[in-house]
Amino acid sequence: MNKRILFCGVGALGSHAVVLCRNLPARFALVDEDRVESKNTLSQAFVKPSIGKNKAEALKLQLASFWGVKAEAFGVRVGEDNVATLCGAADLVVDAFDNAKSRRVLSDWAKKAQTPLVHAAISADGTFGLVRWDERFVPDEEDAPDQATCEGGEHLPIIGAIAAALARAVEEHLTSGAKRDAMVSLSGVTLTATS
Amino acid sequence: MAILNITYNGMSADYPLDVDHALSDRDIRRIAVEVVRSGGLRGLRIANLSDRAFDAYVVDRFDTPGSARRIYLRPKVPFGAVP
Repeated sequence: MNKRILFCGVGALGSHAVVLCRNLPARFALVDEDRVESKNTLSQAFVKPSIGKNKAEALKLQLASFWGVKAEAFGVRVGEDNVATLCGAADLVVDAFDNAKSRRVLSDWAKKAQTPLVHAAISADGTFGLVRWDERFVPDEEDAPDQATCEGGEHLPIIGAIAAALARAVEEHLTSGAKRDAMVSLSGVTLTATS
Repeated sequence: MAILNITYNGMSADYPLDVDHALSDRDIRRIAVEVVRSGGLRGLRIANLSDRAFDAYVVDRFDTPGSARRIYLRPKVPFGAVP
């Protein structure tokens, strides 16, 4: 049976990572409570007909219609009350959320459940990103509540680079069990730690 | 001996730190300002870099078996590092 990968957050990093993971021998599940806005098509993997749909549902439909890839979609927020239900059947959890609180919920659950969890994140100015396995990840605090995220289309190239590094980490983990971190800047991708 | 990796303005480079005592996060940030100002990092020289350029940056430390300790000075993710 193929392993089940749960992608938490399918915005900028998550949506592109899912698209890049589509050839993996795995079962995909997508979680995101947001809806696709027109501005999201600038930096995320959504197409214009998806505007107005829930992001998880929209990506599920795109995967099916463009590549014939099946996925499950959950249009809900991940919190302490439902994290075990959503993540319980996953063999690997991918965190591409855009806030520290949700990352912490996933991290706490993954440690207890001993389920592999990999995080990806981008700095707000679009110059830097991280792929880091949960064993070495500490969610950074926001400088100010509800600080703007990296949404502009001008950052699409580095979003793609971070999503590719994330997809590569997922692929490597599925094939060899390795947990390799990466740091992405405008000057390239640096592999930083492995376990 | 440690390797300090500094990421700033989209560029990233290593700098060898020949110290045998523990450095605080404040020490790391101060050293980074001096290194970037002086051109000690390839491709990353800013002579008039602000004293506070790295105040909001995160210091990560990793011990790697058989090699020097790695220290990363990096922007916050997913928020932070906003000018």
